[in-house]
Amino acid sequence: MRRRMRRLSLSSVLLIAGLTGLALFMLIPIVYIFNHAFKPLDEMFLFPPRILVQEPTIVNFEKLFFATSGDVVPFTRYLFNSIIIAVITIFCVITVSSMAGYAIAKLRFGLKGLIMGLIYISLMFAAETVSIPRYLIISGLGINDTYFAHILPFLASPVAVFLMMAFIGQIPNDLIEAAKLDGASEVAIFNRIVMPLAAPAVATIAILTFQGVWGDVEASTLYVQDEALKNIAYYVQTLVSGAQNNVAGQGLMAAASLLMFLPNLIIFLVFQKRVMQTMLHSGVK
Amino acid sequence: MSSERIEEHRRRRRQRWLEVLREQGLGYLFMAPWAVGFLVFMAIPLGWSLYLTLNKVKLTPNGFDYTWRGLGNFRDAILLDHVYPVKLLTYLQEVILMIPIIIIFALFVSLLLNQSFPGRFLFRAIFFLPVIFATGQVLTELFSQGAGELPFIDQYNVKPLVMEYFGPRFAEPILGILGKVVIILWYSGVQILIFIAGFQTISKSVYEAVRIDGATPWESFWKITLPGAVPFIGLNAIYTIVDLFTFPLNPVLEEIKNNMFKPDTGYGYASALAWIYFAIIFILLSVVFLLLRKAARRRRRV
Repeated sequence: MRRRMRRLSLSSVLLIAGLTGLALFMLIPIVYIFNHAFKPLDEMFLFPPRILVQEPTIVNFEKLFFATSGDVVPFTRYLFNSIIIAVITIFCVITVSSMAGYAIAKLRFGLKGLIMGLIYISLMFAAETVSIPRYLIISGLGINDTYFAHILPFLASPVAVFLMMAFIGQIPNDLIEAAKLDGASEVAIFNRIVMPLAAPAVATIAILTFQGVWGDVEASTLYVQDEALKNIAYYVQTLVSGAQNNVAGQGLMAAASLLMFLPNLIIFLVFQKRVMQTMLHSGVK
Repeated sequence: MSSERIEEHRRRRRQRWLEVLREQGLGYLFMAPWAVGFLVFMAIPLGWSLYLTLNKVKLTPNGFDYTWRGLGNFRDAILLDHVYPVKLLTYLQEVILMIPIIIIFALFVSLLLNQSFPGRFLFRAIFFLPVIFATGQVLTELFSQGAGELPFIDQYNVKPLVMEYFGPRFAEPILGILGKVVIILWYSGVQILIFIAGFQTISKSVYEAVRIDGATPWESFWKITLPGAVPFIGLNAIYTIVDLFTFPLNPVLEEIKNNMFKPDTGYGYASALAWIYFAIIFILLSVVFLLLRKAARRRRRV
């Protein structure tokens, strides 16, 4: 008995060691982003490249903020745009997709099969390829140069509905029937029963949507011409593409990509536990 | 008496109808906001781009100018273009090599993570973490800075070795994959979670039963875990295909985007390229679906 215990613990030690190795390997790019942003110029061009920084400096960040202070539209304006767009979009996507997910999972109506088919098919189309028809529609609706041009294209996300559908489908019908017998209205059932139980899926959608919106340059390049209404991802992209060909620009790029990356990391750490739950329940992203 | 019963019957029927109508209406009501958004920003643009594939589209100062070309765009893409088919085939080759690597790696890691040991939730989070960032901008940055490459490829001169052993024909995709190893690992987060979720559906008592019958863990993996995981392997294959093909850095999508704003090809041609691409994804997915159904049928027969 004792021998078996010892063997078991040995194998689990091996397991943890192996997984730690793999996990470190997975973490390399993140470590790299953080280190790269603090590298002085001479370290950036070392060959073979090194991951860890030797003499960290904040000169790259200084350059980033100085580069921005000379422009017509200040850095903070882009930041403000991005934040407000992200907040409104997340709220709207959650509302719209949870309503649709509830309808598909728990209500009966005629066109359900068709709609589900459409969702499955549209999961595989890349959004880039429809950007020009979208542009025509947006200018047809007359919403260029408003925040709507940033927000509306995200609302019809097939991924979000797909997730909500899978998750709400697992809420037992008995629960909803019981609430109905107690005289709850459909709206009350949706608000008081379905939404709280679907909280993990809501968290996942919030993260996925945040990433989509935060990194989105399509709206700023194609739909919005007013410089004061563009978002930070676009701004960083212009900085980076301007700086790409010169040596000094590399530091700027590294600092900017860390800045773009940080909010994603923070949001993920905040919602991470919920997301893991969703993934384990629904089985699909 | 009888007329009263008919009346009663009618009333009930009307009530039932009202109820059905109410439920249907409620369904449509809940569906409406999403459906409108989907129609305007997804379905109509897709239909439009399908129409554009048959035209030559020129951007003029007063809007777009369409010239009907029929299937001319598709003919040019396949017969005349000397960039697109090459990029498409190379990428296809790479994806077909990457799918098994990602799935086997995910299966392996999820088997390890499925054991009980202290701190496994932390590990699950780490293996899942990259997926969250892997969308769009961040990954593009990483790639352009070369963070996805393995440092040892340059350090130990792996390139000539691969060239020698696999021949120049296969060396190219293999080196391409080696260069993206970290990214491949990054791409298996969701797949790992799908496998872990899948393993939960196999009941513990089956394992106990075969253990009592004297099966080794090795045998129980091949006889129970793997067959039980087949549907999830399929799901993962589908997920991986969709994921790789809609990957923002994918060279084919980049080529399509380049063509959009080229004056001599234009948006109509780019749309045609995109639809050829979608057709290929669709065929690949259908093949996986067919294989899956076959596997399911065989399992049912056994």
